[in-house]
Amino acid sequence: MPSPLALLYGLLGITIVLLVLILARPSMTVSIGGKILAFLAFCALPVLCGVWGLSEHFERSKQTSFCLSCHIMEPYGRSLYVDDMNHIPAAHFQNHRIPTDEACYTCHTDYAMYGTIGVKLHGLRHVYVQYLGTAMNPIHLYEPFNNRECLYCHEGARSFENDTHTPMMDMLKSNQLSCISSGCHDTVHNIDTLDKFKQWRPLE
Amino acid sequence: MTLNGIGFPRVFRISGVLLVLGLCTEAISLRWIHPLAFIAFFVIGGTFLAAGVLLFLYSVVAISHARDTRDPGAN
Repeated sequence: MPSPLALLYGLLGITIVLLVLILARPSMTVSIGGKILAFLAFCALPVLCGVWGLSEHFERSKQTSFCLSCHIMEPYGRSLYVDDMNHIPAAHFQNHRIPTDEACYTCHTDYAMYGTIGVKLHGLRHVYVQYLGTAMNPIHLYEPFNNRECLYCHEGARSFENDTHTPMMDMLKSNQLSCISSGCHDTVHNIDTLDKFKQWRPLE
Repeated sequence: MTLNGIGFPRVFRISGVLLVLGLCTEAISLRWIHPLAFIAFFVIGGTFLAAGVLLFLYSVVAISHARDTRDPGAN
């Protein structure tokens, strides 16, 4: 079964060939069948290609390599390979608690209605700042990290609902108590101390 | 001003060229996983595609309107 990207390339190729054919032989469009073909080539197929391409780009923007393709994110990518399980992102990434090819997106998306669109708009702002503005140094989140992103996976998990977490669940859900900044799991992307730790090298 | 009457209108050719450019931009942008590839797709490719489709639709309506004006009893 060809991949969606291969199918999209196929559709792009077919549409371009149809357009060139019609431009080269306009007499094709005289008949009713030719007019329908012209409508497909000039309207329906390009719109389909555009929407499909947009969807493909959206899916790609979730990839870890996409986020780390900007220079400013390089140390944050390295923090995923810190050989110390107290580092929350590294522990999640290296133990595959999150999909490694969508590591950034998994924890930094907004698990609420329209959250994905909000994240995309933030992403567009990042591109603007990266190339036309001045990136904040050090970079930081727009808002404090929401426990909702942690609970999306951990809530209901047997290993999570223990004597430590259960009594404070209401405070966690309401963000009165932060998972990562209340002294419990506060070693996240500590890029200032990266050089003090060994880097984990996955087996090829 | 039908396709049969004056041949292939110029506006169709422009529309076709815009669409080919837009589709080529999309194909090239899909080769890279990078924010700039998305921007190229969205801004450049999207503009070409939208302009091409809109121009095509406009020309279809314009040709139909011109035909009705010239030959009101045709239908």
